[in-house]
Amino acid sequence: MAANPPVETGERPSGWLDQRTRLGPVIRASLHVRIPMSARTYYFGGIALFLFGIQVVTGTLLALYYKPTPEAAYESVQFITSDVSFGWLIRSMHHWAANLMVLFVGLHLVRVFMQAAYKYPRELTWVLGCLLLLVTLGFGFTGYLLPWDQRAYWATVVGTEIAGGVPIVGETLLLLLRGGPDVTGDTMSRFFGIHVLVLPLMLAGLLAAHLLLVHQLGLANPRRPEPRVATPESRQERLRPFFPHYLIDELVAWYVILAILVVLASLFPVGLEGPANPLETPAHTKPEWYYLGVFELLKLVPIKVVGIMIPVVGIGLLVVWPFLDRSPEVLIRRRKVVVGGATLVIIALLALTVLGFVS
Amino acid sequence: MHQHVTARRRALRLGAILALAGGAWFALAFSASAESPSPSADAAGSPSPSASAPTVPTPGPSDTGWMFETPAPIDQVPLATAPPLPPLVVHPDGAGVNGCYDCHSAVNNKQAAITAEWESSAHGQAAVTCAACHGGDPGTDQIGKAMDRAIGYIGAPGRMETVGLCGSCHANVARMRTSGLPTDQYAQYWSSVHGQLLVTENDTRVAVCTDCHGAHDVRKVSDPKSKVFATNVPALCASCHSDARRMEPYGIPTDQLDVYSASVHGVALLENNDTRAPSCTSCHGSHDAQPPTSTNVVEVCGQCHTATQELYEQSRHSELKAAAPKCWTCHGTHDVSKASSALFFHPETPDYTCTTCHDLTTHTLRLELSRFENEADRRCDSCHHPDSQIYAQIEGISDAVVSAEAAYEEADQTIQEAARLGMITADAEVALMGAKTSLIQAQAAVHTTSLTKIAALSTDAKTKSEAAMALATAKVDENVFRRQAMIIVLAFILLSVAFLVITKRRLDRELEEG
Repeated sequence: MAANPPVETGERPSGWLDQRTRLGPVIRASLHVRIPMSARTYYFGGIALFLFGIQVVTGTLLALYYKPTPEAAYESVQFITSDVSFGWLIRSMHHWAANLMVLFVGLHLVRVFMQAAYKYPRELTWVLGCLLLLVTLGFGFTGYLLPWDQRAYWATVVGTEIAGGVPIVGETLLLLLRGGPDVTGDTMSRFFGIHVLVLPLMLAGLLAAHLLLVHQLGLANPRRPEPRVATPESRQERLRPFFPHYLIDELVAWYVILAILVVLASLFPVGLEGPANPLETPAHTKPEWYYLGVFELLKLVPIKVVGIMIPVVGIGLLVVWPFLDRSPEVLIRRRKVVVGGATLVIIALLALTVLGFVS
Repeated sequence: MHQHVTARRRALRLGAILALAGGAWFALAFSASAESPSPSADAAGSPSPSASAPTVPTPGPSDTGWMFETPAPIDQVPLATAPPLPPLVVHPDGAGVNGCYDCHSAVNNKQAAITAEWESSAHGQAAVTCAACHGGDPGTDQIGKAMDRAIGYIGAPGRMETVGLCGSCHANVARMRTSGLPTDQYAQYWSSVHGQLLVTENDTRVAVCTDCHGAHDVRKVSDPKSKVFATNVPALCASCHSDARRMEPYGIPTDQLDVYSASVHGVALLENNDTRAPSCTSCHGSHDAQPPTSTNVVEVCGQCHTATQELYEQSRHSELKAAAPKCWTCHGTHDVSKASSALFFHPETPDYTCTTCHDLTTHTLRLELSRFENEADRRCDSCHHPDSQIYAQIEGISDAVVSAEAAYEEADQTIQEAARLGMITADAEVALMGAKTSLIQAQAAVHTTSLTKIAALSTDAKTKSEAAMALATAKVDENVFRRQAMIIVLAFILLSVAFLVITKRRLDRELEEG
């Protein structure tokens, strides 16, 4: 049986690997794109991608020693942190990278919103980005339980309790999350499975689609709307190569983030509270900082259902926003209502988070 | 034959012992009955309550110093007989109607408040109606019939009658069986200082049931709103015992609440809400309230401090009997402070005279309690002279305990330092817990006064503390290494960034030119 003849692409395979994979054109098409000189990404998206890479590497190393059962989880985390060579570094990097990832995905979303980069033709890129944010938050939520210490256990009890307050589906959602009426070993099993299998696959798929769309559509110009039909003006846009010019900038940003991670992991290594004890409720149970705003909102709003529905509806609005905001304007000064409203929401969220910290 | 003689001798000895014991018992009983005030005689004599001082002695330090040999301990003073238990209050069955409640809740605000109090009380919850205490007919709405004394209406019972009225139910085993409450409070009350003053002196100023439990608002002891809930007890007792005017006839000090509140017990109960901590009733009793005497104070403290009591009873101190230093000699009474190695010696050697510890007339040891009123004077060298052999032994005990405490403290500080640096210190903490157990044992062993025992336990505590210290020090050193490694990694990152920036500038130039 003869091998298929090489497809005629007009380009001859140059190197040894290229001859055997014929991926040269794909790689060249991915790297050798040009982006507008005026594009300002502040590297937020790239940093989030880098942090995801860190999570994959450190998470894999942690999984080599971690034991996902209530009897063994706590001691295995203690073993990783105290006895495994550089285990403390791996665990601390995983912890801090997770926090920074949530932060930078959030900053990326705010940047895209403020620059109106969600508008035509990037609506689907935005929707995929929102889903990536939810998956990232899901990573944080499921990963938080895994050390099985007091903080992890009770934060999960509170978190799942909030999910249980969602109207109509709340009770089912609570049972689905916990694997029963209480947070037990069943909860840990499914959180571990979701954390290391379901969410990484989801994130990889969504991320691939997100990056593919970014590649195909290019970076948005923050100064003018994307024309539906290419105009001479748009063809005269000053461009620069993605590789290596833009990528070097990204690399510098990644190095800076790596330095921050090393400092955080060295000076503020992640600790471990006492083993989870379902019979001993700590005095002040609080979720992670990125859930504190919602947590505080729930405390302030007297009607629980309303408190829960505000963020649920907010996230729903965020996802479909490009289909609601049909105006082609991209400049902030011409989108005062939208930008002002978003700023107010951000300030409120920050204020609630600060309140959650101090209360 | 020989065995038969031996048996006879034993029988004779036993008979002699029994005869002596019987004689002693008869003499004691005769003397007791001669001293015991008869309730009927009291009633006839009827001394004025306001002028009379209590006949029950109140032990405690006095200005002149209390020689242990003199007064009879309170638990050996014969008690006056308790009045007979009255029968249950008889009243017609209301057949499910509580006419008293129906009228009184609508009369005026004061009466409405009383009925509301009753409704939320333990009695209200248990359907013990008004007529159970006040008599009368709850089944009618006719005031004259409902409150007719001819059918047994009592009205508001006097203070003298209250104890019997409460006791008629609460000492009735059949009545209390379903509620699961004890039935000995009535008997206990009459054995208390309060009950004895009431029965012997007709002194109605003393506490009766309703003063502590309330009248209409009686709540369960486990109810935090109850006046007799553990954390509320000190304030309840102080409502009378801190009242200088009220306590004046009895010659009792009135600063106990203030002193107690500042003590370890008071802080634990009142500030930390730790209901395991003792309140007034834990030491004095509740229904059988009496001041503990010097002879039974070890048993009173030992109710909670069981292990310490056992250690004390192994000590030379406990062998001294009457002149023995007791718990309160070193720790105080209401003002119990946290025990520490400061209890060994005065900062400056105190002045001693022969009579400090010795009774020159009887040539026996004596303990003058007034010398220990001040917390700063509760020290070993208050009794033991620096030139004595025992003083050197105390120095040995002190050195052993203090060095073990110092080793423990140092290890604890280092663990905290490691934890502050973000290190996981679980293994060091476990090791320190072992050291703490040994240290507590060494500190508690001070009550045995055995240098050998204390030194062995102190050495064990010190060794374990040093092991914990070694683990904690390794954590701190590890953290130093991490910080040094961090600087090297940051230097590499900086170099890489510098290389990238230079490369980027070259590329930008080429882009501009090309």
